[in-house]
Amino acid sequence: MTDWLKENVLWLIPAAPLLACLWIVLVGQVVRRKYAHRPLVLGLVVSLAASLYLLTVVVPQGFAHDEHEVSHSVITFVYQWFKVGTLDIPVTLRADAMSALMLTMVTSVSTLVAIFASSYMKGDPGYPRFFAAMSLFVFSMCMLVLAGNFLLLFVFWEAVGLCSYLLIGFWFQKPSAAAAAKKAFVVNRIGDFGLILGILLVWQTCGTLDFATLFDSSFVIDQMVRQQPEIFHWICLLLFVGAIGKSAQFPLQVWLPDAMEGPTPVSALIHAATMVTAGVYLVARCTPFFVHAPYIQMAVSGIGAATALIAAITALTQYDLKRVLAYSTVSQLGYMFMSLGAAGAGEGLAIHAVTFAMFHMFTHAFFKAVLFLSAGSVMHAMGDVIDMRRFSGLRKVLPITHWTFLAGALALAGVPLLSGFWSKDEILAVLAAASKGSAHGGFYQVILGIALLTSLMTAFYTFRAYFMTFWGPEKFPEEAGHHPHDAPPAMAGPLAILAIAALGIGLVTGPTHLYGHYLHHTPGLPHADEFPLDPVMMAISSVLAIAGIAVAYLLYVASPGIAQNLKRSLSIGFKISQEGLFIDWCGYKFVAAPLRTLASICEFFDRWVVDTIVDCFGFIPALFGSVIRPVQNGMVQNYGLVMMIGLVVCLISVLRALAGTM
Amino acid sequence: MNEAIQQLNGTLSLIAPDAVLLAAVCIIFFIAPFLVNDKGEAPVGLRHRWGFFSLLTLVIAGCVWWQCPPVPRTLGMFALDELTWYIRGLTLASGVVLVLLHWNQADDARSAESHACLLAILAGVNLIAAANDLIGLFVALELVSIPTYLFLLLPRRDAPAQEAMLKYFLLSIFSSAIVLFGMSYLYGATGTTSLAGIHAAFAATHGQAANPLVAVATVMLIAGLGFRLTAVPFHFYAPDVFQGAPTSGAAMLSLVPKIAGFVALLRLMVPATGAEQAMTSWTMTPAAAPLLWWLAVATMFVGNLMALMQTDIRRLLAYSSVSHAGYMLVGLIVGLEHEIQKDVLNHPVVHSVSGIGAMLFYLAVYGAMTLGAFAVLIAAGRKDKRIETLDDLSGLSRNRPALALVLAIFLFSLAGLPPTAGFLGKLNLFFAAWSQGYESSRWLAVILAINAALGAWYYLKVIGVMFLREPIDRSEQPAFTETPSLIAAGICLAGTLGLFFMPGWLWVPIQSIMP
Repeated sequence: MTDWLKENVLWLIPAAPLLACLWIVLVGQVVRRKYAHRPLVLGLVVSLAASLYLLTVVVPQGFAHDEHEVSHSVITFVYQWFKVGTLDIPVTLRADAMSALMLTMVTSVSTLVAIFASSYMKGDPGYPRFFAAMSLFVFSMCMLVLAGNFLLLFVFWEAVGLCSYLLIGFWFQKPSAAAAAKKAFVVNRIGDFGLILGILLVWQTCGTLDFATLFDSSFVIDQMVRQQPEIFHWICLLLFVGAIGKSAQFPLQVWLPDAMEGPTPVSALIHAATMVTAGVYLVARCTPFFVHAPYIQMAVSGIGAATALIAAITALTQYDLKRVLAYSTVSQLGYMFMSLGAAGAGEGLAIHAVTFAMFHMFTHAFFKAVLFLSAGSVMHAMGDVIDMRRFSGLRKVLPITHWTFLAGALALAGVPLLSGFWSKDEILAVLAAASKGSAHGGFYQVILGIALLTSLMTAFYTFRAYFMTFWGPEKFPEEAGHHPHDAPPAMAGPLAILAIAALGIGLVTGPTHLYGHYLHHTPGLPHADEFPLDPVMMAISSVLAIAGIAVAYLLYVASPGIAQNLKRSLSIGFKISQEGLFIDWCGYKFVAAPLRTLASICEFFDRWVVDTIVDCFGFIPALFGSVIRPVQNGMVQNYGLVMMIGLVVCLISVLRALAGTM
Repeated sequence: MNEAIQQLNGTLSLIAPDAVLLAAVCIIFFIAPFLVNDKGEAPVGLRHRWGFFSLLTLVIAGCVWWQCPPVPRTLGMFALDELTWYIRGLTLASGVVLVLLHWNQADDARSAESHACLLAILAGVNLIAAANDLIGLFVALELVSIPTYLFLLLPRRDAPAQEAMLKYFLLSIFSSAIVLFGMSYLYGATGTTSLAGIHAAFAATHGQAANPLVAVATVMLIAGLGFRLTAVPFHFYAPDVFQGAPTSGAAMLSLVPKIAGFVALLRLMVPATGAEQAMTSWTMTPAAAPLLWWLAVATMFVGNLMALMQTDIRRLLAYSSVSHAGYMLVGLIVGLEHEIQKDVLNHPVVHSVSGIGAMLFYLAVYGAMTLGAFAVLIAAGRKDKRIETLDDLSGLSRNRPALALVLAIFLFSLAGLPPTAGFLGKLNLFFAAWSQGYESSRWLAVILAINAALGAWYYLKVIGVMFLREPIDRSEQPAFTETPSLIAAGICLAGTLGLFFMPGWLWVPIQSIMP
């Protein structure tokens, strides 16, 4: 039994949600529509159990025991999809320490979100459709993480994009939801274009797309480094463009806030915890490439810092609770990229940079999920109103939601000893180490500065949202009815579990190095010494977090008048922040509008020039037909005659050719 | 005496599945007249029983087929090599689908005979694949042709069906005569009717000048078999017959004669695997290759350009089947050129894709998608009115959304778009032609690509009619459920999608045919 499990656990993880998806699509649409969530929850529980087994038993078997050994990954060959000559596309699943950790995160968060959604989505006419799309998403996400080669990764990279599209536009009757889905899809295309180009470049230079060949031993990459080291800059740049699109980094971050049009569980799962982190995963997975491209790593850091800062500034003044969280997600993703890029300061930092980015991704998944789900619970109680100006003082009526939101907010703000504190502090520490390094130290000092500033703003805007929602005079919108009720058990359970995880998971896995040491077994990551905790950064980030919370308390609870005065006196700054630094506006003005002009020129050209040419081609069949048609007149003697003529022509031509050779 | 019996037993084991089919044919023809009374009436529901009987026969033949693995080729009348084995599997599988399509096409009184004809046709195709002798080959070809006439006429005896049958009959015997003519020349040139003997005779003529007799024979055989393939200019019957014949007859004609024609050509042109390869000798291939090149190009273009203008869905599918024959001819030509190259250079050249392999793969894929399209046409029809013109399909997505979706998948596959098997089939053919390295085959690859684009035009037009137009006929007639053809469509759908995701299932046996 255990042997069987060890060999088959890899495909079991994606297969369970896939089966759930098929079941819901084929059967669940018709029979027992109200219970469409059950197959998904069951499938996810199986997946979660399999992932945990993979994490604790199967993957550690391949770990190296001392420094000279190389850890190897677990590979399952599913089947040969296509093999024609030199073109060989196998479907293989591959798991190593990094993917095992990521899978555990994905399956655990999705299980909780699915349970939450079973209650949240109750009564929606598209109930089975929602769960079918969600199962498809979890399947695709697991396959993306388990993909054994770049091509498979790309297929499921697109598949999660498709699921995201389907779920953002879940209420497609709403024009705003349909537009948001379209926007997300189109913006993602730009990134995906970069990714596919990067993959093609990898294929061309290395001759293989197989992760095991590329990453498990350094042979192929070393060879390439000797032959053409500059190619890695291009590969990494293109792969990073893919990551920018999926992980909503500057300048492609515009789609993520709009994606909040989808149901809240979707925002929590796809647009906060899992799918948007795929870009981080991609860059981390390709670390063996990136260590050879230090300038691209600086660009990664730079883009991450810019995104984090812009998103944080925008989040300061939003009134839509979910949008605050969305900008916060963008900002935290920026953090992760800042950390990933810190490897540019020296090869010794690479593994720590990756570890801390992945660790922040891990803790972020839990606290952001609880924040979003709590926001969903607020929406549920307030009759789908999410504008923070229309309700306040909810901590009495929604006690559970209040506590869970507070737990998430404390963790996100980076209050000492909670999850966000550990992971954020490690990122700050690795940036500090990078800024002390000889190579590009000045650049990383700027990045560190931005990171600290963002950290202060994060604490402020998170607690601004918290105080505006849960403190102050009790006020409900009329959509909420007379007695807003707190989360029912199916919603409260996942909330509580996630809240506990948000508070404690950082403490359990961070300072104990549980996460870091496990991740270090990922094949292909360069080895390095232990990274010491940085007490200075810890102290600074604690002070910043508490300062941010204190300012928020001052402005929104203690004396709300100050906030109003500030808003009036800084109206221009407020407006800029409110509009997200006018990036959307710039996008429309300087990208979309010229494109639209170009499109109308193209349309003109297409309609009058291309169409005319095509119409001319369209005459060919008719012309051709007018030649053939007299023959094709239904007269059998005609047919016989033409066949005979054809035969004679064939004979003559062959005999003539023969005469020529004789 | 004992020796003769032993020989007979040995031969029978080579054609056991076909013997099962022919035995069933005899049983049906013997019993069927007793179940119909003097007025020509039969008990209601008799056709279901005959349908089940045919299915049972096919299943038994399938079991026997599975139990008879390929054996090394002998000099007898029949051979059972990898090609025979593969084609048998293909015929039996398409036979199951065809029986399901034919289920309700003939009325109770005539269903027995038409099922028997179908089984005889299938047995004929199998025997062509197994033939090791010119006589056997010709008899097997006729075993396909003659029951076909009956099969086209029996279900419907109205004027269009009669006209269609008569056209097919006249032109078919014409083509049979041409084939026979070619065979007689081949016999005259080599002095033997055994295919292995003929190839051996070719091999023996080292470096001799080309033989005009063989050239004439080649042209005649290609022309005669070109009729079965619907190669231009021998395709004229196809649109008229497809339009007039019952739908199951059109479905049968779109696939089964193509299998027969391509297999017969392969048997004639390519020496059996393991045989001594002829070096620099005059075989049929050098004369055939340029001729087939032009035939393929003309077939692709005529098929696609004529299909563009059709408003009758059957005529459209007829021209589509013409163009697909052209695609498969590309694979055949590339494969034959590969054989010459092997001869001339006397060492096997490593190619990424074998043309013949690609052709055999496409044959199976084409079978799944085209039979599927016909299955949907039968299932979408009403009791009193079958689907005839494109207008009959308009708004199908409103009335029968699932059927419209399935038909759309088959049409996507015919157009060669992923994720369907048609995409992989065309990709294989294209690769095979492109990687051959000759200028002529590169041109074929380019023409194939152009024609694939032309084809997409009219397939997508049909999809547009189904999904974008309002239904014209708004009469609230209950949609009549055609369970057998729905099952057939399901089988074809599984094939069309399954072969995209798991092409290895088919590709592995094919690769053992042409090493």
